[in-house]
Amino acid sequence: MANPDLMEKEGKKVVLLGNEAIARGAIEAGMGLSACYPGTPSSEVGIALSAIAKQAGFYFEWSTNEKVAYEVAAGAAFSGVRALTAMKHFGLNVAIDSVMPTIYTGVKGGLVIMVSDDPLGHSSAQSEQDTRFYARMGLIPTLEPTNAQECKDLTKLAFEISEKHRIPVMLRTTTMVSHSIGTVKLGKIPQPKTKGNFVKDPESFYCLPPALQQLHERLNKKIDTIELAYDYLNRIEGEGKIGIITSGVSYQYLKEVKKDLNGLKGVKIAKLVMTYPISRSFVTKFLKGLDRVFVLEELEPVVEQFVRALAKDVNPRTEIHGKDILSRIGEYNPETIQSALAPFLKAKKPDFSMHEAYLKKIDLPARKAVLCPGCPHRSTFYAVKKVMGDQTVWSGDIGCYVLGIQEPYKMEDFIVSMGSSIGLAHGIQKVSDQKVVVFIGDSTFFHAGMPPLVNSVAHGTKPIIVILDNGVTAMTGHQPHPGSDFTGMGDKKEPIKIEDVVRSFGIANIKIVNAFSQKELQAAIKEMSASDKLGVIISRGLCRLYMRRLLRKQGGEFSKFQVAPGKCKKCLTCVKQFACPAIMHEGDKVYIREDLCWGCGVCAQVCPVGAIIPAARRKKNDV
Amino acid sequence: MTYNVLIAGVGGEGVLFTSVIVARAANFEGFDVRGTQLHGLAQRGGAIPTHVRFGKAVDSPLIPRAQADLIFALEPLEAARFCYFAHKDRTNFIVDTYPVKPVYANLFDKEYPTYEKIKQMISPFAKNFVFIDASHICDQKLGDPLDGNTMMLGLAVASGMLPLKKESIIEAIKRTVPKDPEKDIKAFRFGLEYKE
Repeated sequence: MANPDLMEKEGKKVVLLGNEAIARGAIEAGMGLSACYPGTPSSEVGIALSAIAKQAGFYFEWSTNEKVAYEVAAGAAFSGVRALTAMKHFGLNVAIDSVMPTIYTGVKGGLVIMVSDDPLGHSSAQSEQDTRFYARMGLIPTLEPTNAQECKDLTKLAFEISEKHRIPVMLRTTTMVSHSIGTVKLGKIPQPKTKGNFVKDPESFYCLPPALQQLHERLNKKIDTIELAYDYLNRIEGEGKIGIITSGVSYQYLKEVKKDLNGLKGVKIAKLVMTYPISRSFVTKFLKGLDRVFVLEELEPVVEQFVRALAKDVNPRTEIHGKDILSRIGEYNPETIQSALAPFLKAKKPDFSMHEAYLKKIDLPARKAVLCPGCPHRSTFYAVKKVMGDQTVWSGDIGCYVLGIQEPYKMEDFIVSMGSSIGLAHGIQKVSDQKVVVFIGDSTFFHAGMPPLVNSVAHGTKPIIVILDNGVTAMTGHQPHPGSDFTGMGDKKEPIKIEDVVRSFGIANIKIVNAFSQKELQAAIKEMSASDKLGVIISRGLCRLYMRRLLRKQGGEFSKFQVAPGKCKKCLTCVKQFACPAIMHEGDKVYIREDLCWGCGVCAQVCPVGAIIPAARRKKNDV
Repeated sequence: MTYNVLIAGVGGEGVLFTSVIVARAANFEGFDVRGTQLHGLAQRGGAIPTHVRFGKAVDSPLIPRAQADLIFALEPLEAARFCYFAHKDRTNFIVDTYPVKPVYANLFDKEYPTYEKIKQMISPFAKNFVFIDASHICDQKLGDPLDGNTMMLGLAVASGMLPLKKESIIEAIKRTVPKDPEKDIKAFRFGLEYKE
């Protein structure tokens, strides 16, 4: 469902999510094309653009992966059309191989790469990556908004900078910027320019050495020009002998606790908007005459190191604090900023000892994220474990099924990166005789699972590869992938069948099973386990949450299951081994919460005594 | 003065929907609005709170600790979990007593606390609290337990716990679900007029 405020008129004030504001900024910049691969915390940029592409008149696609998405956007920008791609930090790792050279070649139309970091790992399990290092490695001009209004305004500005200096520009956020809401005053929406023309330009695109060095020199000059030209974006607030340099959401937290830090009297704040290149003249001017400087930035001391290096020349006596008083790990919040600064500003540290002591005492049951009721992955995990036991190596991948890492399944022995499961399985089998089962989702398979599968065939290892095909990119909110039957513009399309792709690699040992049938699943796994060839099981069953949304739109619901009175022998297989969130165990009673049950019926197949049966239908639309 | 609302619940109960309605209604009344809306894992049965803050000028998207004015909990355990945003001097709680026992409580035979116990946990942090079996009542009276959150919005507005006008909430519902706002408006009005 599109946020109707995305297309509101100029001058209106609306509340937007940071990511939606970025989408609006792109529309106000007259963007003609956007290509993305979903990855939270960046997903809603593409979700918003996808929902309004037709209305606003630009092209949108969910590309196969972030590298392809970047290339699609760059192709448009090479042809003079403004383009945007949005991805999470790990997505940039995938795209970077194409990003680096295009910083050298430059672009004709504005090209914006929106990248969101995820300190604390709200939606990212693998690392607390600080993408600002990429800006330095690749010489990528980078803007960092602090709130939703700036998300919109800086996206628009990023297009202008990119087009003026003919260089891709990065808009870097963190979760608390992308996923914060805020009041946004809207600007004008121009007619998007969607038609371009690629003009041959050997001076920019023929990069074979020695031309490469000329391009490098041209790039360095661009960066020097940009550093001076956008000095005006950075702001100084207040006056005093103590300085605070900050950017991103840390700035908002600092403003929030101003009143608790004696109104920041005698403190001068520098807010950096362009964090690469950082303006040396701006920071030089700021540092002069300061006794003490604090650098507030989440994750690594990127700005701090810059400030330390510069201070040696301009004000060596100033005392610099950053990661000595604040963590490199996780996120900040108003209290962490207040606690870190209070001792230096003669203010009180916040005292939450009563809260902390009490909350430690009450010991609430944890509520971790779990697979939804009726999830086809739960059924697949259950069947595989039943046949293969606990000693198998479980090679995990990225998607909803990462949740299989948790109790009671514990069926992801490692989670590395998109598509990594197959290459890792191959490596393990080259040095051990262990059985390895790979779990990889449909979207992940198209994203980065095909090259390692070809590699396994070419070099002869025999993992059992279970492709969990639920029809959509589920974890990020049901975006289409090449195997889906619709596009990012909402049009119907012919799905590319995973089995056709797998077969084309020379794999004959393929089983396609119904993910909601324990009988089919277990039979296929037994067969594959006995085979001495590489085997692929496609476990097919539509994402239950997606199906439920489609169903509720038509006023329907899933029909439910229940535990038949008197038949349950309290073996707890359904509670302890199958572990569906709709099945409850209280005291001596096992029952199914009808309001939570999504009717997959797999629990009825799992129950050894046939005690789980369909419940009576409530509505005639139920399925 | 900034008014801070923390909305807690389990993925799928309408936490996001509720926060969108509150934020939009506050915007209609001319307030500066800030807050957070975490997506992703929240949909998968996790415990994710959203923050909505409105006032003349708001800075942080996150509510500072102990500064919530209203904790709007769609599940009782989640009300207790976010007490660190609450303070006896200012925080009201409105809590749907409809429980969703976490899978891990089933797996490890961990007890789900009784309402009495949850009330005991909350009371050192609460100025006032209302416990209401909203989802259950909506299931019986309106035919859909998922209306519980909208009904509670009605209760919160009627009791003054949420200082926004009922007209703004209705406008926000119309803006958010333009195709079929009547169902949610009905649930909201049901909450406005509800007497135990």
